[in-house]
Amino acid sequence: MKERKGIFKTLKEFIYGMAAHDTARFALKTRGSMEHLFILITMGDMLGVPILPPYYSLRLLPYCVPQIATWKRRMLREKDFTDTLA
Amino acid sequence: MNSVVLILLGVLVYYLGMRFYANFFDRQIIQTNPQRATPARLYADGVDFLPTSKNILFGYQFKSIAGAAPVLGPIIAIKWGWLPGLLWILFGAFFIGWIQDYSSAIVSLRSDGQTFGGISHSLISPRARIILLSFIYFYLLLIAAAFSNVVATFMSNNPNLSLAIIALALSGCLVGFLIYYGKISLVLVTLFGLLIFYLAFSLGGKFPLALSPLGANKMLWLGFALIFSFFGSVLPIWVFIQPINYLSFYIILFGMIGAVLGIILGHPKLQAPAFTSFNAGGLPLWPMLFVTIACGAISGWHSNVSSTGTSRQLAQETDARPVTAGAMFLEMILAIIALTIVSITRAQGRWDILFGEGLDEVFHYLGLPRGWGKAYGPLMIIILAITILHLVIRFMRIATNELLGKKLPILRNPILGTLIALIFSFLLVYTGSFNYIWVLFGSANQLMASLALLLASVWLVAEKKPTRFTFYPMVFMYLTTMSALIYTTFTVLRQAITGLDLAGKPLPTSSVVGNYFAGAIGLVLFIAAIILVYDGLRAYFRYAGGRDEREKGNI
Repeated sequence: MKERKGIFKTLKEFIYGMAAHDTARFALKTRGSMEHLFILITMGDMLGVPILPPYYSLRLLPYCVPQIATWKRRMLREKDFTDTLA
Repeated sequence: MNSVVLILLGVLVYYLGMRFYANFFDRQIIQTNPQRATPARLYADGVDFLPTSKNILFGYQFKSIAGAAPVLGPIIAIKWGWLPGLLWILFGAFFIGWIQDYSSAIVSLRSDGQTFGGISHSLISPRARIILLSFIYFYLLLIAAAFSNVVATFMSNNPNLSLAIIALALSGCLVGFLIYYGKISLVLVTLFGLLIFYLAFSLGGKFPLALSPLGANKMLWLGFALIFSFFGSVLPIWVFIQPINYLSFYIILFGMIGAVLGIILGHPKLQAPAFTSFNAGGLPLWPMLFVTIACGAISGWHSNVSSTGTSRQLAQETDARPVTAGAMFLEMILAIIALTIVSITRAQGRWDILFGEGLDEVFHYLGLPRGWGKAYGPLMIIILAITILHLVIRFMRIATNELLGKKLPILRNPILGTLIALIFSFLLVYTGSFNYIWVLFGSANQLMASLALLLASVWLVAEKKPTRFTFYPMVFMYLTTMSALIYTTFTVLRQAITGLDLAGKPLPTSSVVGNYFAGAIGLVLFIAAIILVYDGLRAYFRYAGGRDEREKGNI
């Protein structure tokens, strides 16, 4: 069932989209980059970049499990500078 | 003619475009399906790929595409009269503009959220990607040159606005600090920042700040604009760019709401001539009008926003039409508002004072005292230009790193990358003529649009869908823009070689250098566009002949 939004909620979302959505998105990107860097350091051997000895990696593994799939995809996805344009 | 008629025509085209053409293309040609998983859902990582409400995305897309260009283009194009500009804005947006924005988002959406670099690599050829990325770098350089020129011109002509602009920079930084470190309510902080800004704006007339009393103001303000951009590029984005752009948004929003209300309440008659001549100021109407008014009719910048930011956030395929086409048609109305404002003033003369004069008329209908609009108009243009300028310099710094960082590791240094971007921009503005820089910027922008339409056509033919809706607009845009580019490049190079301007007067050495510089950029864009279209058309006919290289894995 499609959600129906009132005019004020629609307007509020529109204003938010214009005023602050890019800021919120960039904050998420920054946090994501930090987390992915952390996972790279701890779980790098999954991508063939061993940085931390496996003993410590295994101890940290339970905390990283939920993000491993998206981390691998983001690390291995081909990127160029047009990614930063918007 | 009554000015409200222009706005109503814009609303009518918005309705017809969205209700009929966009609806038909979305349902019959692209066949969007709300059940099909979008990249935002398929690869949701909470970072790049994030399903977002279509209302938020509509606002995001509109804010990202509607910068200074939809306002400045129609103002500059008033030299041909308001009618040619109006017709181009209405027909351009209806037949070409929205379909470029929409199809760019759809191509990316159906290609796992890839950006244009990746799509051109897989759809056209590996070298297409390198050339496209290099093309975008020069395109960004021309944006930086055009907008830093605008900031410098308006700041030097309006010393009463200096205090407001400096207050905006400082209050923006303060707002960022209070939000991120102070954790104070966003509403309170916003009101506080705006209060500081409007206080400085109202006091600006009493404390005008001219950087030099000796008439060298423009170059000094150019230096200010570039130093401003330097901080925007090297400081963390949340410290400088984001809070300043956040506050700026409200300042522009208030101005535009005031303009619309004023036009509706005052419904003044248009004073500017409907048509002046086919050759205004030495620039022929075709092809120059079509590159002078870019945003508002069609703009290549939009395809970058659609294919990079928006396509990765669309929660449903069916949201693409209201978000991308809707934002394009709304921008068309913004351009018509700008055109209306400069058409209702009796003032004649330089384009850079017409907007303020027109806005003064409009604000007067709201009961505001005379003189407010004259200050607020240039202020809006400075803010619109500066908010784009520091972002573009930042992009150029990242592009320098990506394009050349592997071969020359020193260019990975953010300060060096920024300085290179700033030096190029400074040289172009210092030595070049604004008219030619604006036309080159418009040409690069419109070429980007025709390349986006080409990419969409190649994708459509690869998907065995009808291509006439994007292919013919692409041919028109490509021929028009290449003509403008050839005309401009030829004119500036002729002036550089002969050392004489159009009137036959000797040019100063700096202008000769500037003309060589502008001519060289024009040539680079021209050659890049020829190669891209050659590769693009080869790919198009390859797919049309039934050979899909993507499936064979040959590319």
